[in-house]
Amino acid sequence: MTARFDPGDPVRVRPEDRRGHIRTPSYVKGKTGQIETGLGAFKDPESLAYGGSGLPDKHLYKVAFRQKDLWDGYAGSPDDTLYIDIYEHWLDPA
Amino acid sequence: MAGIHDLGGSPGAGSIDKSQHETEDWEHLADAVTVVLDKKGIKTTDEHRRAQESLDPERYKSLGYYERWVAATEILLVEKGVLTREEIDKKVAELEESP
Repeated sequence: MTARFDPGDPVRVRPEDRRGHIRTPSYVKGKTGQIETGLGAFKDPESLAYGGSGLPDKHLYKVAFRQKDLWDGYAGSPDDTLYIDIYEHWLDPA
Repeated sequence: MAGIHDLGGSPGAGSIDKSQHETEDWEHLADAVTVVLDKKGIKTTDEHRRAQESLDPERYKSLGYYERWVAATEILLVEKGVLTREEIDKKVAELEESP
């Protein structure tokens, strides 16, 4: 399975609000960031959490967000960056 | 809506309590039992996290780190048929009665 995204690609986190064992925190949902690097493919924790096989493997990415894009009224440097690991099925091209 | 564990950025959530304490014996035991259940293939880390996230929100907030681990391990042991809730309650009652 080929990775859908490359480093530098702009991505938007899907604003899905659903139940389950979700590894994507609420505060990045709907936000736009940039792929920093691919981290490989791993069993899907959303399936493993309910006794599933976790297959097929899901690509995981280190995604960079500007802090000012995440928090209203962010008072720090505009260059402040947050890195977070997000699975491919939570990302759309931006 | 976000689960009780998904706190980042929540209005009024406050800062993180970073106070530490010496690890107690029961916490070592809780860790060991949980890891052994993984090694034996009885549960996975993801199931354990899911079980913690399924705790009643008020209970989740009132429990400490390893108290959540124990609560989640209990949920999974019952779910997988290793122990029954009655067996666990009976043993707890015995332990509470012993001096």
